[in-house]
Amino acid sequence: MKSGVFIILDWGKVKFFLGEVGRNFTRNAGMQATAIGTVAVTVVLLGLFLFVRLTLAGVGDRLLKQIEISVYFHTNATPAQENHLRAVLRADQRVASFTFVPKAEGLKQLRRQTQGSIDVSMLTQNPLPDKFRVRVSDPSQVSAVAEELRAEPGVANVIYGKTIVGRLLQLGVVLRRVSIALIVALLFVAAIIISNTIRLTVFARRREIAIMQLVGATATYVRMPFVCEGLLHGLLGSLVALVILGIGKAALWAKLALALPWLELNATHVAMLPIALQLLLVGIAIGGLSSWFSIGRYLRT
Amino acid sequence: MISIRNVSLTYPNGVRALDNVTLEIAKGDFLFLVGSSGTGKSSLLRLLYHDAIPSHGEIVVDGIRVDKLRGARVASLRRHLGVIFQDFKLLNDKTVWENVAFAMHVTGAHTREIERQVPRTLDLVGLAHKSRMFPSELSGGEQQRTAIARAIVNNPKLLLCDEPTGNLDPENTTEIMDLLLRINTKGTTVVVATHNQSVVDRMRKRVVRLEDGRIFTDEERGFYYLGLGQGQVLSG
Ligand SMILES: Nc1ncnc2c1ncn2[C@@H]1O[C@H](COP(=O)(O)OP(=O)(O)OP(=O)(O)O)[C@@H](O)[C@H]1O
Ligand SMILES: [Mg+2]
Repeated sequence: MKSGVFIILDWGKVKFFLGEVGRNFTRNAGMQATAIGTVAVTVVLLGLFLFVRLTLAGVGDRLLKQIEISVYFHTNATPAQENHLRAVLRADQRVASFTFVPKAEGLKQLRRQTQGSIDVSMLTQNPLPDKFRVRVSDPSQVSAVAEELRAEPGVANVIYGKTIVGRLLQLGVVLRRVSIALIVALLFVAAIIISNTIRLTVFARRREIAIMQLVGATATYVRMPFVCEGLLHGLLGSLVALVILGIGKAALWAKLALALPWLELNATHVAMLPIALQLLLVGIAIGGLSSWFSIGRYLRT
Repeated sequence: MISIRNVSLTYPNGVRALDNVTLEIAKGDFLFLVGSSGTGKSSLLRLLYHDAIPSHGEIVVDGIRVDKLRGARVASLRRHLGVIFQDFKLLNDKTVWENVAFAMHVTGAHTREIERQVPRTLDLVGLAHKSRMFPSELSGGEQQRTAIARAIVNNPKLLLCDEPTGNLDPENTTEIMDLLLRINTKGTTVVVATHNQSVVDRMRKRVVRLEDGRIFTDEERGFYYLGLGQGQVLSG
């Protein structure tokens, strides 16, 4: 009996296995190229798609972050009521920041904003109430916070972009669902295409597979070189895709930022390394899984 | 060694290849399986290495219920017996050496053991000098000897041969049969399905004749045709 250590250190086996994978890999260049190409196209599409999704999500987030709640007091509200609200806002975890705008300040701002179009100087008396401007850290909490503030003493009215908050939040949900569906569909189609490609190579070698099993190779033993080949397709395909995406980004980013300023591309910080790693993993997984399943039907036991 | 009890085999297409076959084969036996074409010789052998599963009955090889095996145990069974075919079934992109080594690789044997055992086996079949050649560069006899080397490299207790000389000329046929006999004298049980009358009649081993999926005759030191010398039944 040989010890486990010897089996682990059996370089002959490693060489044999790598030889098998290498031999398979170099056998049919056209087929290999098809499989690698499919992975590459899939991963490029996936990358583009993730980019669009992240950018849109970024735009939505920024819009939501800018949403503020204006809390107007009655003109006869007391300083005690205003201080009470200040304390409430300070204590509320959901509130990111707030500023107090006294009516005098409000009038100055109004003057600045309406410069010339309305002659505010004609006003003999300040018609504006005191107000708080409140920003909330989590956009989905805007409505809840606003409604709570409305109930505070001395508060006359609370105004926030109710419809726009609602729509943006809804858009976010839809975006997430649609993108998950699209990603699943994309991966599914890619897996089918790759499996079919690999199935052809497996079909071309079905005699060999049958002989291997006849000699006593287990299904796993026969499968492993194929799966490694698939992993290799995935790795190479997604590397190709990453190069394409990288070049594309370098060439188009600046132009895109200029052409679509409202996207505020440079403001959305998309961490590229994690995305690249994710894409790489997805590519490798598609390659490996497609091989795993496409050889299944030729393994008899 | 082999115990086949009340075995029937019906293929999915409805063909009944074997019909209630019962057969015992002792350890170290040398047995010929004869019978006209389509009477179930190959089918019987296939049952023994689990390439087909009986619809009825049980099969025990070396104490193992072969018909009950599944998955990795089938692979394990096949490592413990050798099988050779009329069409050799060699891996065409591997050399003679690699073809034989492959049968050891799948058992998980250590490389050093493979490197010791493969040359020894190639020597035994007389192919040591052609170990670097590919099957396409060999004669039919040499290809069959490669297949035999592959079949016996793991020292199986049982060697199954389905028309091993079907594609060979008389000279190569004699060589291959001598080789099988040598393997048999070392203790391996050998079962040969064949149409080759002269081989059977010359070797005078146990002969089992199948007809229509049933055992028709079973003779120790038999002839190709029951109880008769070579050629005598050809008119009947
Ligand atoms: N895979 C299969 N599927 C369906 N029927 C089969 C299959 N293999 C063999 N048969 C049928 O089973 C019967 C027995 O075939 P088998 O191959 O065992 O005969 P054989 O004795 O080996 O014949 P030969 O001497 O020509 O090799 C035949 O009628 C054949 O048509
Ligand atoms: Mg046959």
